[in-house]
Amino acid sequence: MSAGNENGVRLDKFKNKGKDANELRRRRVEVNVELRKAKKDDQIFKRRNVTTLVDEATSPLQEKSQNCQVTLVWRGNNNLDAQLNATQAARKLLSRERHPPIDHIISAGLIPKLVAFLGLESPPIQFEAAWALTNIASGTSDQTSAVVEGGAIPAFIRLVISPHPHISEQAVWALGNIAGDGSVYRDQVIKHGAVAPLLSLLAVPELSLFTSGYLRNITWTLSNLCRNKNPSPPLAAVQQILPTLLRLLHHDDKEVLADTCWALSYLTDGPNDRIEVVVQTGLISRLVQLLGSGEVFVVTPSLRAIGNMVTGTDEQTQAVLNAGALSMFPGLLRHHKSNLQKEAFWTLSNITAGRDSQIQDVINAGLVPLMVDVLRKGDYKTQKEAVWAITNFTSGGTVEQVVYLVQANVLEPLLNLLSTKDSKTILVILDAITNIFLAGDKIGEADKLCMMIEECGGLDKIEALQSHENELVYKASLNLIEKYFSGEEEEDQCVAPELTTDGYAFHISENQSTFNF
Amino acid sequence: MFITDIRKEFYDFVVNQRVALLVSSDIDALCACKILQALFHCDQVQYTLVPVTGWQDLGTAFLEHKEQFRYFVLINCGANVDLLETLQPEEDSIFFICDTHRPVDVVNVYNDTQVKLMIKQDDDLGVPSYDDIFRDEEEEGGDDSGNESDGGSEPSGKRRRYDEGEVERRIERQRATREWEARRREILFDYEQYEYHGTSAAMVIFELAWVLTKDTKDMLWWAIIGLTDQWVHDKITHMKYVTDIATLQRHVSRHNHRNEDEDNSLSIDCMRISFEYDLRLALYQHWSLFESICNSSYTSCNFKLWSMHGQKKLQEFLADMGLPLKQVKQKFNSMDMSVKENLREVIEESSNKYGMKDIRIQTFGVHFGFKNRFLASDVVHAAAALLESTEKDESPGDNFIKALDCLSRSNLERLHGGIDLAKKKLMAIQQTVASCICTNLILSQGPFLYCYLLEGTPDVKLFSKPMALTLLCKYLLKAFVRSTRNKRCKLLPLIIAAPMDVEKRTVIVLGIPPESETSDKKNFFGRAFEKAAESTSSRTLHDHFDTSIIELKMEDRTKFLDALITLLS
Repeated sequence: MSAGNENGVRLDKFKNKGKDANELRRRRVEVNVELRKAKKDDQIFKRRNVTTLVDEATSPLQEKSQNCQVTLVWRGNNNLDAQLNATQAARKLLSRERHPPIDHIISAGLIPKLVAFLGLESPPIQFEAAWALTNIASGTSDQTSAVVEGGAIPAFIRLVISPHPHISEQAVWALGNIAGDGSVYRDQVIKHGAVAPLLSLLAVPELSLFTSGYLRNITWTLSNLCRNKNPSPPLAAVQQILPTLLRLLHHDDKEVLADTCWALSYLTDGPNDRIEVVVQTGLISRLVQLLGSGEVFVVTPSLRAIGNMVTGTDEQTQAVLNAGALSMFPGLLRHHKSNLQKEAFWTLSNITAGRDSQIQDVINAGLVPLMVDVLRKGDYKTQKEAVWAITNFTSGGTVEQVVYLVQANVLEPLLNLLSTKDSKTILVILDAITNIFLAGDKIGEADKLCMMIEECGGLDKIEALQSHENELVYKASLNLIEKYFSGEEEEDQCVAPELTTDGYAFHISENQSTFNF
Repeated sequence: MFITDIRKEFYDFVVNQRVALLVSSDIDALCACKILQALFHCDQVQYTLVPVTGWQDLGTAFLEHKEQFRYFVLINCGANVDLLETLQPEEDSIFFICDTHRPVDVVNVYNDTQVKLMIKQDDDLGVPSYDDIFRDEEEEGGDDSGNESDGGSEPSGKRRRYDEGEVERRIERQRATREWEARRREILFDYEQYEYHGTSAAMVIFELAWVLTKDTKDMLWWAIIGLTDQWVHDKITHMKYVTDIATLQRHVSRHNHRNEDEDNSLSIDCMRISFEYDLRLALYQHWSLFESICNSSYTSCNFKLWSMHGQKKLQEFLADMGLPLKQVKQKFNSMDMSVKENLREVIEESSNKYGMKDIRIQTFGVHFGFKNRFLASDVVHAAAALLESTEKDESPGDNFIKALDCLSRSNLERLHGGIDLAKKKLMAIQQTVASCICTNLILSQGPFLYCYLLEGTPDVKLFSKPMALTLLCKYLLKAFVRSTRNKRCKLLPLIIAAPMDVEKRTVIVLGIPPESETSDKKNFFGRAFEKAAESTSSRTLHDHFDTSIIELKMEDRTKFLDALITLLS
């Protein structure tokens, strides 16, 4: 029902010809909610998996004894070698692929010990302990909590600038896992001062001197510091990180690029002032370049970032258009990955929700035929986004622009989609039809539109919607019928001789035959 | 899953339920159906009988009945494809399958909830073990890297660091998985390569009746006809036939024994089943001996009756037996009693001399009252002729009911009608065989023999039916092997094609394994047809429950055959 109410509000706005900025905002939130929900489902799935795995893991005797061994060595011995061996044993248990005994290690009370080892003056032990803790923190939120509560954050931050690259890398990784848990730990990591040492690692003239793994880990951890909302990461930290992200955006390693783009997509996923911070950095043109890089795992996050930006103000959208983003869209709108295609149409729908000059940019980029194509045959989710793009187009476009859209044969495929089950999409389509009629009224071509709609079978579909279970759908379709299609039959007959299309002639003969009866 | 206790796991289940009975169009299925119907009558089980001729039919029948029924009994259909995949049933529909088609689809075998296979475990099934073909999901999980590599998904918030050794172990595991998959493909290929038939459905259902101690003579007779159908249509090996005959013989003696107490009270409506070592001459007791010899595959092939020489040999043979020609051409019923006495021995003796050592075969006969005597094979031929009757465009449904009716002893009229029809059919087959052999219509294509019946061939309509075509094909191959001098050709399988639907421009295509005494009757054409159709994108319809029978667009015949030749050479 709530979706319906939103639509009611929208309709009013269209009648007033007002801009629907609020609606846009809502849409973006909706997408995000969807994403978050998907993620949460992942988490639940993961958790369920983990518990069953651990249950199973308790059964093999061998493993139990191995665990005990680790614990025993620990309790009895303060000898450095023995500690190293025990830490290593624990690390090995935690880094095997299946059923790592994370909960066992936690309940054995090993975390404080491991955290203490991070501060020892023995690089091998520091490394093993950091690795072990990294893997514990990679688990569920509870498991990550155990690591944080053991005081690991400051200890890891100290290790970030360790002279030993492998220890530094491991500490960076661990911090990434902690920050990746959610806003709360992300902010704790930032509050403990992780950003400066992390950025200092990259304060070198030449990034390519790093091993690729090292650089990837740092980038990923930085992206986790930008990740999650409610609240978004502290503005100061974001401003601190952005210049480095800009630099990484020019690096040539694909995974680094992907993670950097993801970071930008997180940062742009917020209120307009957050988008503004990113826009001001002047990285849009590079992002647009990456849109055309052809690497799916780079294109996806850069498109996400661009898509987030155009949900902002008209000026922010204009900045994206000025960077030439639309020239990349013919490829994206036809991308073989349906998910990318969908995102591209989502982005497009937010652009067509802008000024009419921006709509004109979309037309000039030759994207309208592609939109019609997808309406005709495409993935359903993509079609839904395309419908939004069309509706936004019709609501913000000039009469000429709407005429162009109709001439591009949008009506038939759009009306065909009325047979979908999803009532929200139906309402959006009916909005588009209404808008097109409004444009038709202005130039006195409404009758012609009626003809076109009737010829492609659209009238039957709209008529059928009057028996739709959703009240709003019923009302919207009734409105259309009453306003444009009622009493038309008589009218039709006086106009009839002028029209010579086959479809129409057929119609006449049908009528005559009914008269005969 | 296989049912081990057919009574507990099948009958007790359905006995208080409404059941949909889906029965394939073959004689064994009809017999199984008769037995089951009799049991259902006994226990007042409500059922709906639906004849099905192919997969499409089965699909429609299921759709039409899935609302009202939870329990479906499938007779001689359903076992050799993944049934749940094909029918997409709701989770509460349960299928009991009594089907002779082998190999049984592995998913059917290992589905424990919805698919219940009433198939005798001692049949040589050779189902691959579960672990060889299925792997539990959990083992495959856990390779996050695999997911990431397909690109475009958001990076994980947390990542675990694996051991270096772990990476190797993972590679090792992937290698093992690949090997396992290759092995699985091989095992499945071996398992699914050949199509063949298992224990008769009628016998399986009869066993159920026996376990319930509700078996009657009628049911036993139907079981016998079911088995005989498998022999007549050459579906099982000779070994299997003899073994199953022995099983049935024990039941026959048990039943005969039971009646002895009633001081052999013969009455007009009594029924006596007897084991016979009888002649392999089709319908001879309802024909003349001469016509039966001419129209039985065994004798006709041995004499090569399509040649002048063969005809002469037949005359010699008759003379050798010392039977007057007048008597031989007389209706069997009207032959002199003196001639009929020892007839079987007389014929056997001469046959031995003429190289026909197997003129007699273990079978059963039945007496209804005093007058009517039938051999099991008589009934098979009659029922098959009724089932595939092409007289007066009758619907398959009508034919099914008629064929079913002719199995009841209260319906001897219909049975006699069927026998008349069967005679026509056998004569048509013999004439077609003779003309094919004489005009060299059987061509060697390299890996197989091929015969195409042209439109306009007499009786071609008859051979658009699967059973009639099968019989023709088998007889034709036997005759060809007898007539050809090319030794290599004697070892080849045969594909026959006949016009099926003139309007739709389709042909029916059937392939049979090579003819030999020791043949295991395993047929590889099903798979080969599928592959050939796939590779040439020929418009084929694999609708028949036997995968070696398909429907093909006439225009696609050449490219389909070419693909088949390449595939099999």
